[in-house]
Amino acid sequence: MNSLLTNAVAGLTAGGAYALLGVCATFTFRLVAVVNFAGAAIGASGAFAFALLVEVGTPIWGGAIAGLLFGALVGVLVGEIMTRWFAEASTSIKAAVSTALLVGVTAVGLRVTGGQRPHEFPELLSGSAFRLLGVEVTNTAIAMLGLAMLFTLLIGLFLNRSHVGLQLRALSERPAAAELIGIPVHQLSLWVWAIGGAATTLALMLIAPQRAPNFLGLSLLVVPALASALIGFFRSFWATLLGGVVIGEMESLISGFSGLGAYRTAVPFLVIIAVLLWSQRGGRWDDAR
Amino acid sequence: MLRISDLKVDRAGLPVIREADLVVEPGRISVLLGANGAGKTTLLEGISGIAPVTGGRIKLGTEAIETNRPTERARKGLAHVEQGRTVFRTLTTEENLRVVGNGVDFARSYALFPELEKRRQVRAGLLSGGEQQMLVIARALLARPKVIMIDEMSAGLAPIIVGRLMNAVRALADSGLSILLVEQFAALALEIGDRAYVLRKGQIVYDGACRPLIENPDLLHRLYLGGGAHA
Ligand SMILES: Nc1ncnc2c1ncn2[C@@H]1O[C@H](COP(=O)(O)OP(=O)(O)OP(=O)(O)O)[C@@H](O)[C@H]1O
Ligand SMILES: [Mg+2]
Repeated sequence: MNSLLTNAVAGLTAGGAYALLGVCATFTFRLVAVVNFAGAAIGASGAFAFALLVEVGTPIWGGAIAGLLFGALVGVLVGEIMTRWFAEASTSIKAAVSTALLVGVTAVGLRVTGGQRPHEFPELLSGSAFRLLGVEVTNTAIAMLGLAMLFTLLIGLFLNRSHVGLQLRALSERPAAAELIGIPVHQLSLWVWAIGGAATTLALMLIAPQRAPNFLGLSLLVVPALASALIGFFRSFWATLLGGVVIGEMESLISGFSGLGAYRTAVPFLVIIAVLLWSQRGGRWDDAR
Repeated sequence: MLRISDLKVDRAGLPVIREADLVVEPGRISVLLGANGAGKTTLLEGISGIAPVTGGRIKLGTEAIETNRPTERARKGLAHVEQGRTVFRTLTTEENLRVVGNGVDFARSYALFPELEKRRQVRAGLLSGGEQQMLVIARALLARPKVIMIDEMSAGLAPIIVGRLMNAVRALADSGLSILLVEQFAALALEIGDRAYVLRKGQIVYDGACRPLIENPDLLHRLYLGGGAHA
């Protein structure tokens, strides 16, 4: 019983990270219409910039801010490629391009960060927040969940209440029409990429110490991220959030069963396949696009 | 004032518009006619910047704008109401107007098209075709353009609505706007127009008064389909 609870609590950190990454994926898809396979690779760039800066003696919070900015910058670079050359392309072409960018960014990242050699990721938050029935709930788990919820809440408010949010909703629906009425489509799109890049970086900076962090491993967290976004049909931020937490929990609970634990990373794949099969029956995948 | 000279526009790598010259003057309506696929929409897209221009000049007032992005051209006073009523379907009528700028004055939009005010909280995707057409014209006007290009606003609408729209367009011109009106069905547009152009296979084959085309439907027919009549 207690080990089940331990696993459930451990799953919160991963679940919160997946949720935040998933919400970023939904954010990017809804506003600039890209299924962004390179999302976590962008975040990994920022997270590794943070780790490398701290390794050479930068104070931890200074390094964190620099990492966030670097993640935003890589996001903007990827966004520039997508908006300058592939703005008119279909969703599937753009997804293919983002997959190519995943490979490209990861190749550069592995090269710069020294192949598969793990780096020491400093913990931004350490210690436990409180004990639940004798199980420690860590600060990171709480922060992760809180951040995912805060980000989801802020995105909703921003899109529905602010003028720039209104312009973003318009441009996501008809970029050409938005451009023709003078909305700065290009700039706004790059802001979306910057915000997505920074938020993804934050998620990866927090989760990296819990993993064996190498660049490829972090980049591939795009799989649970997209699985979460798929649960929200790339539309609903709150369903994406919930999806991320559920995937994190499933992974964690499965590792509690000896013999099944080795297959925990298959969970997102199973979720993707299950959602796709189910959605095809109802034709809902088409609506979501 | 909009003046284009020697304009060339490609589509998917193939030349569609070849050496087009055209003028739209303040307070005037230039009517651009042509059969299906003649290149009317492509010409407008080249002017507003959605389609790449491969040669020629576009002058808005005294300024050459052919190298500007569409957003910049819009900011400089060029409005393009696209074919197909491109409302933001998931936004309400009022949001479609508000999106143009913080604190835009939509009293003017509702004065021009009172039916929009009653529908302000309705999602634009649920409006009738006529209402959607009014909305996209009102939306374009909120940016206070000097020149407005309107592509096939009457397609598929009831005659009474088309009459309303034509009157509104004439009133806009009378208030000083330069208007380029693209229509496939010519009669009503020629009635309110000051100058006519006919486009055939990407080339302008008529540039002159509207009257001769109204009085001589045969001429218009020949211009649409070819047969060498030049004015
Ligand atoms: N996106 C595109 N890609 C390739 N070819 C195109 C594209 N858009 C238009 N064309 C081609 O350019 C030519 C002109 O089309 P255009 O839409 O400008 O004509 P139009 O006069 O506006 O016709 P309509 O009255 O049907 O609106 C056509 O031969 C069309 O096939
Ligand atoms: Mg057309």
